[in-house]
Amino acid sequence: MLLTVILAVPLAAGLLGAAISWRRAVGWAMVAANAAVLGLGIALGIETDHRHVAGGLDGALRADALSAFMVVVIGAISLLASIQSIRYLEAEIARGEHSTRHASLYSLLVQVFVTCMLAAVLAANLGALWVAVEATTIATTFLVGHRRSDKALEASWKYVLICSVGIALAFLGTVLVYFAALHVPGHPSGASVLDWTSLVHASHHLDPAVVRLGMALLVLGYGTKVGLAPMHSWLPDAHSQAPAPVSALMSGVLLTVAFYALLRFKAVADGALGPGYSRTLLVIVGLASLLVAASLLLTQRDVKRMLAYHSIEHMGLIALGAAAGTTLAIAAVLLHILGHGLAKAVLFLASGEILLVEGTSEIDKIPSLLARRPLLGGIFGFGLVALLGLPPFSLFVSELNMIRGELAVGLGWAAGLSLLAMAVIFAAVMAHGRHLLLGGRGATPSATSRLVGVPLVGGLVACVFFGLSAWPLQSLLDAAARVVVR
Amino acid sequence: MTGALATLGAASPSLWARIGTSVLQVVAVVVGGPLLLGLMAKIRARAEGRMGPPITQGLSDLRKLVRKEAIRAEHTSAVAALAPLVLVASAAVAAAVTPLLTTRPVVAGGADVFVVVYLLLMGSVALALGGLDAGTAFGGMGASRAMTIGAISEPALLVGILALAVQARTSNLPGIVAASLAHPGWLASPQRLLALVALVVVVIAETGRIPVDNPSTHLELTMIHEAMVLEQAGPDLALVTLGESMRLALLLGLLANLFFPWGVDASGSGLVLLAALAVLAAKTAALAGMIALVEVSTAKLRLFRVPELLAGGFVLAVVAVTTGLVTR
Amino acid sequence: MRPGGALDVVQLAAGVVLAGAVLALWRKDLRALISVLSLQGAALATLAGVLAAHDGDVGLGVVAGVVLVAKGLVIPGLLARVVRADPGSRETAPLVNVPASLVTAAVLVVLSYLVAGRLTALFPDPLTRLAPLGLATVLVGFFVLVTRRKAVSQIVGLLLIDNGLALTAFLLTAGVPLLVELGASLDVLLVVVVLQVLATTMRARFGHVDLDQLRELHD
Repeated sequence: MLLTVILAVPLAAGLLGAAISWRRAVGWAMVAANAAVLGLGIALGIETDHRHVAGGLDGALRADALSAFMVVVIGAISLLASIQSIRYLEAEIARGEHSTRHASLYSLLVQVFVTCMLAAVLAANLGALWVAVEATTIATTFLVGHRRSDKALEASWKYVLICSVGIALAFLGTVLVYFAALHVPGHPSGASVLDWTSLVHASHHLDPAVVRLGMALLVLGYGTKVGLAPMHSWLPDAHSQAPAPVSALMSGVLLTVAFYALLRFKAVADGALGPGYSRTLLVIVGLASLLVAASLLLTQRDVKRMLAYHSIEHMGLIALGAAAGTTLAIAAVLLHILGHGLAKAVLFLASGEILLVEGTSEIDKIPSLLARRPLLGGIFGFGLVALLGLPPFSLFVSELNMIRGELAVGLGWAAGLSLLAMAVIFAAVMAHGRHLLLGGRGATPSATSRLVGVPLVGGLVACVFFGLSAWPLQSLLDAAARVVVR
Repeated sequence: MTGALATLGAASPSLWARIGTSVLQVVAVVVGGPLLLGLMAKIRARAEGRMGPPITQGLSDLRKLVRKEAIRAEHTSAVAALAPLVLVASAAVAAAVTPLLTTRPVVAGGADVFVVVYLLLMGSVALALGGLDAGTAFGGMGASRAMTIGAISEPALLVGILALAVQARTSNLPGIVAASLAHPGWLASPQRLLALVALVVVVIAETGRIPVDNPSTHLELTMIHEAMVLEQAGPDLALVTLGESMRLALLLGLLANLFFPWGVDASGSGLVLLAALAVLAAKTAALAGMIALVEVSTAKLRLFRVPELLAGGFVLAVVAVTTGLVTR
Repeated sequence: MRPGGALDVVQLAAGVVLAGAVLALWRKDLRALISVLSLQGAALATLAGVLAAHDGDVGLGVVAGVVLVAKGLVIPGLLARVVRADPGSRETAPLVNVPASLVTAAVLVVLSYLVAGRLTALFPDPLTRLAPLGLATVLVGFFVLVTRRKAVSQIVGLLLIDNGLALTAFLLTAGVPLLVELGASLDVLLVVVVLQVLATTMRARFGHVDLDQLRELHD
C-alpha cells in the first residue's frame, strides 16, 4: 500500500499540473508532492531496515532497504529541483519564452519522470525495471529540449538516440539472463522468473557463459544511461542544454537510478560467476570514465558542461566502488550516490540561477561572482568543494570508504589511478572555480532570491551533516548494501 | 547425403553410359549456349516491338567467324592464342561434370562446388589475360573492369552455392541436386530463397548482362566484356563467343537444377535422358526469358554502382550460409 | 519445437528479418527502408503468432497482435509521414559507402554466428539455433545507426536493433513476460513518436534533417 502511494502522489501532482493552467500554487503542489515522497521514503527506510521487505500492487512492487534508500535520494533531489522549477518557469514566462501551456507540459513531464524513476527502484521484476528506465528517457527528451533552441534540439536528438540504443543492449542482456534462468532445472517458469527474489535465489545455478555475455551487455547498456565511458557522449550535451531543474534531476538521480539497476544485476551475475567478472567490467568502464572526465574537464568553457563532465567522473568513482563489492564499499557507494546527488543538484540549480541573472553560462563571461553575488557565489563555491570530495562533506567519507574497499580486494592500482585522475580534475575545477568566483574586489554586492537560497543551502547542510554523522543513515546503508552483497 | 545418392543410383549405369551422358551434356551446352543467347535477343527485340534476329543467329555467326582468316594483333604472345582455348576447354570440362541432365555424370565425385567454380574462374582469368595481351587501351580497360566485378561475383557464386551445400551436407554438386530432389520441402527454406536472390545477381554479373554489362554496346565508357575481346577476330573470336555462351548455358542450367531440380535424371539411361534434356531446355529457356525481360525493363547501372549490387549479392549469400548453419 | 510446418515458418520469418536488415543497408531510398521495416514487423508478428499457436500461449498471441500493429503498421506509418514531408529524400552520403558497408555486414553476420555459438551449444534446440540471426540483425542495425547521417535512416537503424532484439527474445525465450513485452513495445513506439516529433521540428527549424550539419555541440 505504502509503495502504491509513493508512486501515486507525484503522478497525481503532475496530472494536476497538466489539468489546470500554471500558477505558483501548482508549483508548490509539486513541491509538496515531492516532499511527501521524501517523507514516505524515510518511513519506508525505517520499515525496511533490518531486512524487512514491503510489497504492493499484487506483488509487482517490492521494496527492500536498497529500494527505500533510492526512494529517499529521489525524494530529496526532486524536492530541491521542484522548488527551483517554480523560479525557472516564472522567469521564462516573464521573459515571454514560454506560454503557461508549456509550463503545464513541463510540470507533467517532470512529475512523470520522477514517477518513472520511483517505479524503477520499486519494481519487483527486473524486466519491469528495464521498462521504467526506458520510460525515463522518453519523459526527459522533451524536457531536455524544453528551451527549444537549436542546441537543445540537437542535444535531445543525441540523447534519445544514444540512450535508446544503450537501453536496447540492456534489454538484450536482460533477455539473456532470463534465458539462463529459464534453463535452471526446478526454477519456477512464467512471469516470476525475472523477479529479483527468485532470480537471486537461482543465481548460483545460472549458466555462466550466458550470464557472462548478458552481464557485459548490461554493463554497456545501463552504463549508457549511467553516463559511463565509452557511451557517455550524450551526457554533456543533454545536461548542459536541459533546464537547470531537469539537469539537477538527471545528473543527481537519473544516472544513479540506472546504476541501481547495475547493482541488482551485479548481484545476480556474481552469484553465477563469482565477483571477478563484473569487477573487471566495472573497473574498465570506471577507469575509462575517469580518464574521459579528467582529459576533457580542463578545456570546458561552460559551467553546465563542466558539471556534466564532473558527473561522468563521479559515476566512474561509483563504478570502481561497486567493483570492489564489499559491504563497506557498497555502503560507501550508496552514500556517494546521495552525497553526489545533493551536491550536483545544488550546483546545477545554482548554475541555472547564474544563467538566469547573468544571461550566460560561459565561465569566461561570469567573473568574480563571489564579490557581486555573495550568497549565490558562496553556494556555488561550497558546492564545488563538496564535489571535489573535501571534508567535511559526505563525499569525502564515501570516497575514502570506497578506496578502502578497493584496497581490501586488491584493487589498489585502480584506486591509485582514480586518485591521479581526481588530482587532475581537482586542478581543472580549481582553475575554473577561481576564475568564476574570485576577483572583482569592490563590486557592489546584490542579493539572491530566498526561493533559491534556502533550498540550496539546505542541500549543502544535509551534505555536511551526512559527512559528519553516521546517524541516521548508517544502519539503512548497511542493510541496503547487504541486499546486493552476498 | 551419400545415402541419398546410393539409393537414387540403385541401378548404377555403366561407365560408358555415364561418359555418354557427360558428352551429351557438353554438346547440349555447346549448342544450347548460342541458342539461349539467340532466344534472349529475340525476346528483347519482341518486347521492344522489333522482329529481331532468328534464334539460330548465334550459331550462324559462329560458323561465319570460323571460316574467316585467323589474324592476331601485332606483338601478341602465346597467351592470346591460348586464352580462347582455355576458356572453351574449362567451360567444357565444367559442363561435363556438372549435374545438368543427370545426378551421376562421369567423375561425379570430383564435381565439387569448388572445382566447378574454379574452372569458371580459370576461364575468366584466361579471357582477361587474353584481353591484356595485345597491350591496347581497350583490352586493358575491359580486363580491369571484368576483374573488378569478378573479384566480388566469384566469391559470391561460391558462397551462394555453399549455402545449399550446408543444407545438403555435401559440397558435391550432384549430391546437392540429388538431396534437393529427395527433399522437396527445402525449396521454401529461408537460406534457399536468400541464396537464389544472391545467385541470380551473380549469374547476371558473370554472364555480362544488363544491369551489370550491356552485351550489345560498344560505348567505351560502359563496355566491359566487349572491350576485352575487341582485339580478337576470326576463329579466336568464335572460340571466345562460344566459350562465353557456354558459360551462360552452364550457369543457367546449374541455377535451374540447384533450385528447381525436377526432371534431373537419377539413373542416366536411354530415353529418360532425352526427357531430361527437354526439361533442362525448358527450364533454362524460362530463366533466360526472365533475364531478357529484366534487361528490357532496367537501365544499366553506372559502373561504380555495380560493386554495390554485387556486394549485396555477396552479403545475401553469406546470410544464406549462416541461416543454413543455424537451421540445419 | 519439432521440425515440421511450424518450425519452417519460424525459420523463414527469422530469415526475412535478417534479410530485411541487409536490404536496409543496401537501399538508399528512404521509402524503401520503411517498407523493409514493415516487412520485418509482419515477419516478427507471424513468428510470434506461430509460436503462440504452437505452445497454446495466449499472452504470446496478444504480443503477436501488438507487434503486428506497432511494428508492422504504426511505426512505419509515422516514419512515412517524416519522409513525405521531404519527398525524394535519399541517404546521399553515408559515412561508409555501400559496398564496404555490405561487406562489413557479411563480417557482422559471421561474427554473430560465432558469438551465439556458445548459446546454441548449451541448449541445442531448433529455436535457439536461430538466435544468431537476431544478433546479426542487431549488429547490422548498429552499423546503420553509426554510418547513416539522415534522421530517418538513424531511426531505421534504431528500429532494426529493436527488431533484432525482439527476434532474439522470441527465439531464446518465446518472449519475455507479457508485462515486460508490452512495456517494451510501448516504449519503442513512444521513442519513435518522440524522434518523429524531433525530426519534424528540426525540418521546420533548419530546413533539413541531415545530422552531419548539426555540429554545434562538441568538445
